[in-house]
Amino acid sequence: MSRSTRIRAAIVLAVWVALATFPEWSVAWESSRFAAGIIRQILIFAIFASSLNLLVGYAGLPSLGHAAFFGGGAYAAAIVAQRLGTDELLVSLGAAVAGAALLALVVGYLAVRAVGIFFLMLTLALAQMVFAIAFQATDLTGGSNGFSGVHRPVLLGIDFNAANDLYLLVCAVALLVALLLWRLATSSYGRALVGVRENERRMRALGYDTRTLKLSAFVLAGALAGVAGALSAYEFRFVSPNDVALGTSVAGFVMVLIGGAGTLVGPIVGAAVVLSIERVLPSQLPAQMVLGIVFIAFVVFARQGLVGAVRRAVRA
Amino acid sequence: MGKRNDAAAERGYRISRRAFLISSSAAALAACAPSTTGNAASSAAATTAAAAATAGPPLKLGQLLPFTKVYAELGNSMKRSTDLYLKLKGNKLANRPVTVIYEDEANDPQVGLAKTQKFIDQDKVDVMLGVVATPIAYAIRNAVDSAKMIYIDTNAGGNALTRTTNNCTPSCKSPYIFRTSFSSYQISEPIGEYMASKKGVKEVFTFVADYGFGTESQADFTTGFTKNGGKITGSLKAPLGSADFVPFVTQLKAQPTKDIYSFFSGADAVKYIQAWNQLGLPAAGYKMNGAGFLTEQDVLAVVKEQANGAITSLFWAVELDNPENKAFKDAYQKEYNLLPDVFAVQAWDGMQALDLALQATKGDTSDKQKLIAALEAVKFNSPRGAFEFDKDTHNPIQDMYMREVKTANGQTVNTISDKIGRVTDPGK
Amino acid sequence: MTLEDALQQALNGLSFGALLFILAAGLSLIFGMMDVVNLAHGAFYMLGAYVALSVTRATGSFWAALVVAPLALAALGLLVEPLLLRRLRGRHLDQVLITIGLSLVIADFIRLRDDWGWGATVRSLPFPAGLDRSVAIAGSDYPTYRLFVIAFGAGLALLLYVLHRRTRIGALVRAGVGDAEMLSALGVDTDRLFTVTFAIGAGLAGLAGVVAAPVFGLQPGMDVDALIYSLIVVVVGGLGSLSGAVAGSAVVGPADTFGKVLVPQFALALIFAIMALVLLFRPTGLLGRVRIGR
Repeated sequence: MSRSTRIRAAIVLAVWVALATFPEWSVAWESSRFAAGIIRQILIFAIFASSLNLLVGYAGLPSLGHAAFFGGGAYAAAIVAQRLGTDELLVSLGAAVAGAALLALVVGYLAVRAVGIFFLMLTLALAQMVFAIAFQATDLTGGSNGFSGVHRPVLLGIDFNAANDLYLLVCAVALLVALLLWRLATSSYGRALVGVRENERRMRALGYDTRTLKLSAFVLAGALAGVAGALSAYEFRFVSPNDVALGTSVAGFVMVLIGGAGTLVGPIVGAAVVLSIERVLPSQLPAQMVLGIVFIAFVVFARQGLVGAVRRAVRA
Repeated sequence: MGKRNDAAAERGYRISRRAFLISSSAAALAACAPSTTGNAASSAAATTAAAAATAGPPLKLGQLLPFTKVYAELGNSMKRSTDLYLKLKGNKLANRPVTVIYEDEANDPQVGLAKTQKFIDQDKVDVMLGVVATPIAYAIRNAVDSAKMIYIDTNAGGNALTRTTNNCTPSCKSPYIFRTSFSSYQISEPIGEYMASKKGVKEVFTFVADYGFGTESQADFTTGFTKNGGKITGSLKAPLGSADFVPFVTQLKAQPTKDIYSFFSGADAVKYIQAWNQLGLPAAGYKMNGAGFLTEQDVLAVVKEQANGAITSLFWAVELDNPENKAFKDAYQKEYNLLPDVFAVQAWDGMQALDLALQATKGDTSDKQKLIAALEAVKFNSPRGAFEFDKDTHNPIQDMYMREVKTANGQTVNTISDKIGRVTDPGK
Repeated sequence: MTLEDALQQALNGLSFGALLFILAAGLSLIFGMMDVVNLAHGAFYMLGAYVALSVTRATGSFWAALVVAPLALAALGLLVEPLLLRRLRGRHLDQVLITIGLSLVIADFIRLRDDWGWGATVRSLPFPAGLDRSVAIAGSDYPTYRLFVIAFGAGLALLLYVLHRRTRIGALVRAGVGDAEMLSALGVDTDRLFTVTFAIGAGLAGLAGVVAAPVFGLQPGMDVDALIYSLIVVVVGGLGSLSGAVAGSAVVGPADTFGKVLVPQFALALIFAIMALVLLFRPTGLLGRVRIGR
């Protein structure tokens, strides 16, 4: 590892430790509990956005149906845990990953035949079909009324029911996912994905099986979205068709773009911005309008997203 | 073409940062300019400051209502009603100055839950009210229950919220949850029984919106109707928010049963009634029946006389003749120049129930069990008539009416055509 | 389903399809001919409907609204394109983000303007006088407005075809799509050309708003519904061509209508399934021309 990488890693680790211990050192602050809840949600959506970033930012696959795997993972975690009568983390999380990955395999197999705008619309269409199933399969998913009574998980005796314990779990998973994506991005696999994004024909000429590359990225991204979905099910103890809806796909897409597609920290920033506006902004302010103005502003002023703008400012 | 675009982009935007900020701020401010959906908290706060001098400790209420997305209209109506109630009470309940914090449920259970946690953790409200969409009510049920937060549901009508269910699926009652609206059973089953027995209708075809509420209403109506010898000849479902209702109504006209029972609300109800008229169903002898929301004032304001003759059941009608309703209507019209709708009544009764309970506990909200007992004991005359909670389920015990839509003096309203009687939810 | 019922549903499908065509025409124009992803199309449609509402209230005339609303939206388009989109030629992701932002601003603006008679309340635009009756067709009553919509859609298609193929501006647009650099080198102000094209697309969205409002009504969320339907029609019919928009609406309209009544359990997913099938087996759409590059 080069020196600059080591410095960056140290900074990231320091930030993560500060974040993970936030409930402790902020306990005197009256908004501590509420803020911790928002941070959990931001981290969950950061995982979701980061997984989408693998597709949009690295592989150049603009997917507008990613919520299918987020919600799919959430439903899988919730349903399997209830059906098997167990709260074991590895079981429900495993179900989420497996379910989301399987779904991503099916959807991806169909979708990666297309490129660009066609890929976008195809993922949208397939995800809407998943939404229809979630909405109507009332016996399985609870239908439009949602799936309630989801339990927070237990890992080998450690119970994550309390808000602060779940907080640690979410932080830990977020770190693991971030590390995984970082390794991927800097590996030859990640570079191959970028290569496919830049010029797929050339990659094929070089002997890469681009379709398998794209499909594997799609499945991986789907699986990670499923992880985020499972965490979301634990956080809210509830899964609803909203979690597989177009709005959630668009939200994730937008988080990637605002934060900066193709960067590692971008999706996290994007998630923080979008969720803060949607869930923290006082209700007197028109959140949707503020969100819209923020989007416009980012495109006008910060072409590489917020992270890119900060980078340029730092360099300047 | 690619190269040229990069070059153009390098030049940067001609619009300067400052120009953008100014214009977007102006846009945002213009959008936020005075309108009836403005800020309640600030007006409440102003009167709070003035009254703080000789009153009890401030009372914080959290109202979770939709202000964006498809049910925004309902949220606005319920906010108007809440604001009016507080205004008429000098912004005090049990001599405690009131601050209401409104949050947008945005038709999203995640957002609803996040805002509920905000009420609990951040704002630390004394009592929570609201929620229009049933999935959101189901989502927050466990959160308010474990936080021991008293929550008065002023719309969401999913049956399970006030019932004992298997495994609390999809939801179940809680000692902390009260409802001042209805359970979908109450507005669907009695009309079924009534149509079969009192009106002697033998056959009905059902047509409902394809989601939890519609399905529940259809099932409860079927129970009531078949219990008294009626026969359901068939059913049709329309996806929630369908753009075009004409294909469905064409189907209705293609089948022989003349009595149709429906559940729709809002924009769906509007389109349904319009299609019903445009395809000539009244002339062909078809009769529209339904649960009350099919022809509530929000719908009638748009379709007007096209809804004439529709028979629906609800616990209130704008033409209900009792002194409280008259006073309520007059006050509402004077303040807002609008006719109130049932959502306004539900919100009003939420405040009224809370008001009376607080008076009983002398303003004490710290002892939850005492407040629960006080709420359970409230009995008052609401614009809908005699109101009380079922002590077991915390669902309202209320009179159910048969209403018929009539137009007179340019106004289309629901008139009371019959009273079904006092209805309580079975609780199981 | 009897023959009579089938005929009636076919008529329903046709009028729904006509509305879809009018709605999608503007998107097809901007999308296919400028290569710009305009996700604010639904918001333009919504704004057109609300402007029509105000104009009809003020003047009592639907026909006045039919003229004013498209012009108003075209004016908005003339402002939006140079301000926000000109620098984003070819940058689809940025176009997606900025047009989503624009649509959020427009939709929320409408929601807040209760004092203009807009706001979040469900509203309706009455049929214009003369088209507010129903006539007996195929054994049932059918609203004449819907027949008008079919005629209007056909007329609009014809008009757009003539403009596209037979006029100078149409030729310029076709050339601009083919090779903007060359066109610019020939002395044509391609920036202005694209601005005008975008304005026409926005105007068409506004026009759709007026024509569709008496049928679909005005309520929060109508922009998203309209956008989704437009995208499906354009994708199914074929990106980049007017005939694509016609083909797309001719398929999606009846499919949605018959699907709702024949297979109600799948109604929600049906048109997406159709879109997915088209994208899988004929990605350029039923009548789309093959696009080189992206």
